Amino acid sequence: MSEHLLEVTGLSAGYGQIEVLHGLDFHVADGEIVVILGANGAGKTTTMRSVSGMIGRSGEVVFEGNRIGSARPDAVLRAGISQVPQGRGTFTDLSVEDNLRAGAYTVKGSITGDLDRWYDVFPRLAERKDQRAGSLSGGEQQMLAIARAMMNRPKLLLCDEPSLGLAPIITQSLFKILGELRDEMGMSLLVVEQNAGLSLQLCDRAYVLETGHIVATGTGDELLNDDTVKQAYLGGVG
Amino acid sequence: MSLFIQRMFDGLAEGSIYALLALALVVVFRSTGQLNFAQGEIGTLCAFFASTFTLSGWPVWLAVLVAMVIGFVIAALVERVVVRPIEDRNPGAVIVALIGVFLAVNQLSAMFWGVDARSLPSLFPTDADAFIRIGGAAIRIERLGIIGVLIVLLVLLFLLFNYTKIGLAMRAVANNQESSNLVGIRVGNILILGWGLAGAIGALAALLLAPSAGLTGTLMLGPFLLASVAAVLGGLDSPVGAVVGGLLIGLLKAFLIGYVDFLSDMLFPVMLVVLLAVLLFRPAGLFGTEKVERV
Amino acid sequence: MSDSPNDDDVIDRAMTEEIADAGVAGPSAPVTEEGEVEHSGLPIRTPQYGGLHWLGRVLVFAIPLGYLLIRVFGVTGIAGDGWSNSGLGLLADALIIAIAVMGVNLITGYTGQLSIGHAAFFAIGAFTALILTQGKVSTPFFGEENLWDPGWTLPVAGVVCFVVGCLVGLPALRLSGIYLALTTLVFVEAVRSILKYEEFAGVTGGATGIKGDKYTPPEYVFDFFGIKLPTGLDGRGDLNQWMIYLSLGLLLLIMLMVSGLIRSRIGRAMVATRDNELAAEVMGVNLAVIKTVAFGLSGAITGVAGALFGLKLGLAEADIPLFGLFGAITFLVAMVVGGAAQIWGPMVGAVFYVFVNELARSVGENPSESIFSFAFDEGTKLDGLGGVIFGILLILFARFAPFGAVGTFRIIRSKLVQVIPKPPAGSLAARAMAAEDD
Repeated sequence: MSEHLLEVTGLSAGYGQIEVLHGLDFHVADGEIVVILGANGAGKTTTMRSVSGMIGRSGEVVFEGNRIGSARPDAVLRAGISQVPQGRGTFTDLSVEDNLRAGAYTVKGSITGDLDRWYDVFPRLAERKDQRAGSLSGGEQQMLAIARAMMNRPKLLLCDEPSLGLAPIITQSLFKILGELRDEMGMSLLVVEQNAGLSLQLCDRAYVLETGHIVATGTGDELLNDDTVKQAYLGGVG
Repeated sequence: MSLFIQRMFDGLAEGSIYALLALALVVVFRSTGQLNFAQGEIGTLCAFFASTFTLSGWPVWLAVLVAMVIGFVIAALVERVVVRPIEDRNPGAVIVALIGVFLAVNQLSAMFWGVDARSLPSLFPTDADAFIRIGGAAIRIERLGIIGVLIVLLVLLFLLFNYTKIGLAMRAVANNQESSNLVGIRVGNILILGWGLAGAIGALAALLLAPSAGLTGTLMLGPFLLASVAAVLGGLDSPVGAVVGGLLIGLLKAFLIGYVDFLSDMLFPVMLVVLLAVLLFRPAGLFGTEKVERV
Repeated sequence: MSDSPNDDDVIDRAMTEEIADAGVAGPSAPVTEEGEVEHSGLPIRTPQYGGLHWLGRVLVFAIPLGYLLIRVFGVTGIAGDGWSNSGLGLLADALIIAIAVMGVNLITGYTGQLSIGHAAFFAIGAFTALILTQGKVSTPFFGEENLWDPGWTLPVAGVVCFVVGCLVGLPALRLSGIYLALTTLVFVEAVRSILKYEEFAGVTGGATGIKGDKYTPPEYVFDFFGIKLPTGLDGRGDLNQWMIYLSLGLLLLIMLMVSGLIRSRIGRAMVATRDNELAAEVMGVNLAVIKTVAFGLSGAITGVAGALFGLKLGLAEADIPLFGLFGAITFLVAMVVGGAAQIWGPMVGAVFYVFVNELARSVGENPSESIFSFAFDEGTKLDGLGGVIFGILLILFARFAPFGAVGTFRIIRSKLVQVIPKPPAGSLAARAMAAEDD
């Protein structure tokens, strides 16, 4: 059980009286990319937020063998989980570099090494490091959001709909980068997405979420060739 | 000419006080979108404390410093105890509560210090020969001192916001509270810090004004209104705008009273016109950011 | 739903319900057991009666009113040696403030435009009354030698303030929230400066203001076929008593008018504006007209109150506290405590205000002789006690009972009832629900 990096059992969460997630079970192993696929309203963002401690929930979340209670965001961060929120959530009034520094808020000690490394991975950010984050393009802001989350030196990265609002070409290069994070840095990712095609190709395993229930799971290839999934998310069979 | 220079420095000195108060208002507005209605009154209360301290024999600078700390504490308390609980439930009611704080604090000074005027010694020498000649005009040291304080404070704030981790956190919170949460910033604590800082700055404004204006319960009523107009003029989310706005209003007042005789009693009608002109034609003020409403 | 857009009645009825049903007014639109819909927290219809309700009314209204009446009749007892003049004065003040707050309630409680500046209308009304009765302006055809009969100054004050209010309403169209509040605040001070201006002293009396002759009230409130209600006990009119009758009559009249207004098209448009401007506009509300009219009417009402105040006081001077910032806050306190957007709210709030104010004043003057004597030496005064109390009350009410004493108990009661959000009228879900019930 605790061999997985992240193990979630019986996750239920909601807003006020309304329960959105009804007892989800899923896990992320070390060094793999797991995608949670779902349409609007399925509960994707709620899932992200309940794992990262933004909203209250019931059920068990075990990370690196330790139970995370209904933890606060900063405690979750310290445990090693970073989130890239939906819509990027960059600090638009701050410079690119300030955004990165903010990402390292809970890190003790010097972060110049981290800054250099991420400027290497994202040279466009290095070019614009003193520019106001709000003036960056959508794709660049997404890179910034990812880099910011990585500044915290996490072991698990949560990505909430990274392809939202981005052109297909940008999404492709974005997913390529996510793949590199896994391949070259051994990162584990939990990605929540609506865009089935690209994300199923990228991931190692995926879950399909519908109205708060997990209705299918398998490897990326398995689901790509699954008829029901194709019907619902990939525009038809064949 | 020397009269002009005299008026200019008068205006800059008074404007510095408005600038400080406007700055305090903007710091709070940027992080919480609220206008701290009670900012001026908290300052007045601190000035009363300072006057008691000096009467007990404390040196002026100590009294001022401690009074600023008191301002920090009171404002922080207001955020935590009054604003935050109400904001979560009913944002529209916050301003009503702040008006309540305004009233309570204003009358608290009357309750504990009575209604007679008091005096507060100045941080700067104020005797008859404490002036410098600039361009033929005799400029009082106190005026220059006030302008100096503004400059020093601006430098300190600049360093705080741009070169410290806390300053970064405050800027982040002012921009996006949710993302701040996500990167591990304790948003609640930062808000308290912001309000406290504003409280201390507002107190400083009162402490600088009281020696020359006389310390009564109504000390900051007018200045608060003028500083609010200044903040709006400069752009409620722009610290630079607050300072520029404050100085402009100060200068406007000095030259209005000085040169345009029949308008000298019409300060507020003029301010109303200024305010309306800004709000109707350039609602974001001179330096503020235009907010585009996505419907 | 009506098809023809010109079917006013249907649209009227549908308008307020639509906005709430469409969920546009807020994330939840609870339906109380009376079938009324509440949105944005402020109730739109006058409250129903119930047990908890009476508790609220007793606390906030009956006790202060009782105190005032006791003051009126003199401490010695009901059939004492003539009615206490100061008590009568207090009661009259309460009624006048109630009228003023009716105006504030109209613009802030019902139309949702926060105005901290209505004290300006109060001042303008008072000055209008005194200017006319003292003949400061030449008014050919009216009044004898420019000296007006006090009674006629009331409607004139109303009209003048209506005009000023509409003018204020124009820039207010583009302002909202704190910007509007701030502007009204500066407006108050601007009006004060103008009223104080020495160059206008011929009309406004400059810094000293206008002192009026004692307003001699008529002998009888009315005199129909031998049925008389004297305004004084000994054959001469008593100013305070007359003021009480007059103010009470006007207050009730205004309450009637406002309650009718609220139920009308215009009234519902006002409430729609308060709850969600964008939605209101989409529903066909002409925001410009509504806001301007709301400001005008509310200014007029507060102006009439001001005229009454000036006549009663016999003096109009720019530095009177009720004419400035503190007056504006006073009205706000009364409105919040009594209950915003409630017809009885202003009355309740005004009585409460006068009661607490008076109590605080008398305790403050001689705390050593009050029940707090243990804490104070003789001779110390406690100024500002009333203000501190009201400030704290505003905070408490904003935090726990934003709808005032009268409205809150209704909200509490509605929370005890199960809430079933209604789907938007005409939607598939609604039709499904309706089909289920068949």
